[in-house]
Amino acid sequence: MVQFIFDTLFRAADLALIAVALSAVYSLIRFPNVALVQYAVVGAFVGMALQQQGVPIVPAVLLASLLVGGIAQVFNAVIFQRLLRLDPAIALIGSLALSMVLSAGFLLGFGPAAQRFSVQVAPATRVFGVRVTEMQVLTGGLTVAILIAFALLLFRTPLGREMRAVSTNPVLAAATGVNTARVTGLVVFLSGVIAALGGAMLALRGSVSIDMGTNMLLPVFAAAILGGLGNAFGAVFGAIVIAAAETLITNLNFGPIVGQDHVFLPASYAPAASFALLVAVLLFRPRGIFVSEVTRV
Amino acid sequence: MTTELLAVRGLAKAFGLSNVLEDVSFSVMPGEIVGLLGPNGSGKSTALNVISGFLPRSAGTITFAGRDISDAPVHAITDLGLVRTFQLPSMPHRMTVREVLKAGKRDDGGRFAPVAYGPEIDVLLQEFRLAHVAGHAASALSGGQKKLLSVATALRANPKLLCLDEPTAGVHVSLRSDLVGVLRNYVAQGGACLVVEHDMLFIRDLCTRCIVLDRGNIIADCLPGELENNPRVVEAYLGKAIEKGGMAQ
Amino acid sequence: MSDFLIHVISVSCIYGILALSLNLQAGFTGLMNFGLIAMFGCGVYGAGLVHRFGLPVALGPALALILAVLMGLFLARLGRRLSTDYWGIATLSIAEIARIFATNLEPLTGGAQGISGLPLLFSGLRPWDGAARLALFAVILGVAWLICERLVRSNFGLGMKLIREEPQLARALGYDIDRIRSTVMVIASVIAAVAGVLYAHYLSFVGPELLLAPETFLIWAMVIIGGIANNRGVIAGAFAMQFMMAYVPFVKDYFALPSDFVAAARLMLSGGVILGFLLLRPQGIFPERVGGRHDH
Repeated sequence: MVQFIFDTLFRAADLALIAVALSAVYSLIRFPNVALVQYAVVGAFVGMALQQQGVPIVPAVLLASLLVGGIAQVFNAVIFQRLLRLDPAIALIGSLALSMVLSAGFLLGFGPAAQRFSVQVAPATRVFGVRVTEMQVLTGGLTVAILIAFALLLFRTPLGREMRAVSTNPVLAAATGVNTARVTGLVVFLSGVIAALGGAMLALRGSVSIDMGTNMLLPVFAAAILGGLGNAFGAVFGAIVIAAAETLITNLNFGPIVGQDHVFLPASYAPAASFALLVAVLLFRPRGIFVSEVTRV
Repeated sequence: MTTELLAVRGLAKAFGLSNVLEDVSFSVMPGEIVGLLGPNGSGKSTALNVISGFLPRSAGTITFAGRDISDAPVHAITDLGLVRTFQLPSMPHRMTVREVLKAGKRDDGGRFAPVAYGPEIDVLLQEFRLAHVAGHAASALSGGQKKLLSVATALRANPKLLCLDEPTAGVHVSLRSDLVGVLRNYVAQGGACLVVEHDMLFIRDLCTRCIVLDRGNIIADCLPGELENNPRVVEAYLGKAIEKGGMAQ
Repeated sequence: MSDFLIHVISVSCIYGILALSLNLQAGFTGLMNFGLIAMFGCGVYGAGLVHRFGLPVALGPALALILAVLMGLFLARLGRRLSTDYWGIATLSIAEIARIFATNLEPLTGGAQGISGLPLLFSGLRPWDGAARLALFAVILGVAWLICERLVRSNFGLGMKLIREEPQLARALGYDIDRIRSTVMVIASVIAAVAGVLYAHYLSFVGPELLLAPETFLIWAMVIIGGIANNRGVIAGAFAMQFMMAYVPFVKDYFALPSDFVAAARLMLSGGVILGFLLLRPQGIFPERVGGRHDH
C-alpha cells in the first residue's frame, strides 16, 4: 500500500508540472498547446548540455528553463498567434506538427539513446519499507515548491490578478487597463519555464530520451483535461488521479477474476489506463471535474 | 373551428435562479402573422429559442400541428414545419449564397442525389435582391443581406410556421417593404409567421396580432392598432426610457 | 517502369485513398480526426486476423468492414458532446489505445511481432504481379474518388459543408447533425479500412508499428499540402508526400548521413509541411472550389 502511494506520487510529480503549464496557457490562449511536452524535453536536454560545458547543475537547469521560456514565446508569436487567427483547431494541428519537428530535431541532435544528468547517485534508502532515492525525494520536494510558488504568483500578486482577469474576460480586462498582450506573453513564458523545469526534474529522477515528450503527451493531456483545462491547479489533482489509475492497473491482481492465483497486466498497459480514463472523462464530464469554463454550444 | 397551428401552454424557462419566462400561454392560427414584442430582456428571444427546440423548457407544453414538441429535437421540429431564423445570422465563408439557399430545402431528388439548382432558387434570389451576389461567399454579405438570406433560406424549407428573430434590424429601409411583401405572399399561400421585432412600422404593416411580453409574462394580446392605447403596454415601455423612441414611431 | 517506381506509385495510391477518407471528415465536415490510423488499422488487422486464424482470405474485407463501421460509429458517438479540439485529442487517444492493445494482446494479434505471411495479391502473375497490383490500387483509388466527389456534390454534401462552418444554422434548417456526422464517419472509416486491407496484402505483413500516431499526421500533411476540401488536391498531396518520403534514403546515402536521419527526416517532412503550409498557404496547392461549377 505504501509502495502504491509512493509510486503514484512520483508519477504524479512527473505529470503535474507540465500539466499545470498546459492548463495555464489554455486559460489565456484558447487552444491546448501540445508542443509543451516537447518544451519539457528541450529543457532537460539543454540543461544537460550546459552541464557538460561545465556549468554547475543548479544554474544549468535555471538557465535552460529561462531559455525554453523564451523559445515558447518565439513559437507563440511566430506560429500560434497566426494560426489562432484561422481557427483554434488549426492551431492544435500546428502544435502537433511542431511537436513532430522538435522530436525529429532531438533525434538528429542527441540520438536515440537515453540521456541523464551527471549527479552523484546515492544508494536508495528504505522509508516505511519502500525504496526511495535521495534524488526522488529532492525532485519531488522541488516540484511541490515550484507548484506553491506558481500558486502564490497566481493568487497573491498583482500580476496573478491580471492573469486571472484576462483569462475570465479579456475584453473587460483590457477595458480596465490591463495590458492583455503583456500578460499573455508572460504566461506563455512562464508555461515554458515550468514545462522545462518539469522536464529537468524528470531527468534528475532518471533519464530522458527523445521520445519522452511523445510518451508524456496523452497522460499530461488526460491530467489537464481531468482537472478542467484552464484551471491550473485542477491539473495537479488530475495528475494524481491519472498516476493512481496507471499505478493501479499494473498492480492489481486480476487473478481472482480469471480463477488463478496471480495475474498482473504487463506495465505496457499503463498508458492505456490513462487514455481510457481520458476518453471516459470526455464522454461523461466533457469539461473536466473542476469546471472553470463557460459552456460552449 | 380552425385548429391552432402552434399552442404554447404555461411555458416557463429559468436560467439558474432567474426566471426569464414565468407563465406564457398563447397560440398561432394558420394564416396569422403574430408579432412578439416587449422591452429588452422581456424574454422574447428566449421564448423563440425554447419553442424552436434550441433551449430546453423548464415547464409547460408546446404543441405544433397537433403534435407535442415540448421535448423534441430541433430537426424533428423543423421536419414538422416550424423553421426559425437568428437575430444575428452567421454565414459560412466556404459556401456561396446560392449554396446556402439551396441547403434550405433538403432531399429533393434524394439525399445522395447531385445538387440541382431549380428555377425556384433564382426566383428567391430575385425576390430578396440577392441575385447579383449569388456566387459570392455567404459570409461576405452585409449584415442586412445575411438576414435576408436567412429568411429566404428558411422559406425554401416551405415551413408551416416561420419564426423570425428581428428580421429587419440592419436591413436597409428600401428592402423592408420588399420583405413585408414576400412574407404576406407566403402567408397568403397558407403559411404563418411568429415575428420578434422592435420596429413598430414593420409590425403595423405586417402583423395581424401582437403579443407583448414583459419580465417573462404576457401583458397584452391584441391588434397592432390597439397597442398605443393599452396602459400596461405603455407602462412597460415607458418604464424603460430607451424604448420610448421605439414606441413613438 | 522500374520496380521502385511501381512500388512508390502503389503506396501513393493506397495513401491517396486514406487522404480521401480524411478529407471527407476534416475537409468537408470539419471533423478533425487525429486517430485516422485506427480506421486504417481496422482494415489492416481485419485482413491479418483472418489470415492468422486460417480463415478464407475473402473474410478479411468482411471483418475489416465490421470493425470499421463500429470504429466510425464509436468515434462519432464520442463527438456528440465534445468541441473540436477535445474530440481531436479523444480520437488520438483511441488510436493509441488500439495500438497498445494490438501490441499486447499477443494471443490474438501476434503482439509486437505482428502477423506475417499474408498472401500477396496476384503473386501468380509474376513478373507482372507488381503492375497488376498497381492497376488494382489505381482502380480502387478511382472508385473512392468517384464516391467522395459524388457525396460532396450531393444534397447530403451541402449539409456536410453547412455543419463544417455553421452548425447552428444547419440545426435551424433541420439537419440532424449527429446523424450526418455518424454517416460521414462510417463512410470514411470504411474507405480507410479498404486501404488497410490492400496495404496488409501488399506488405504481406501486419504489425502495431503500422498504427503509430505519426502515420496519421503524414496523412494530414497530404491533405494540407494538396488542398483541404479538394479531392483531386489531396490525392496529389498523397503522391507528393510519398515521393518525397521515398527519396529520403537516397539523400541519406548520397550525403553519407547517420542512419537516424531517415526516421528524423520523415518526421521533419510531415511536421514541416503541415506547419509551412498552415502558415504560408493554408488553402493548399489546390484550394477548395467554393460553389462548384455553377458559380464559376
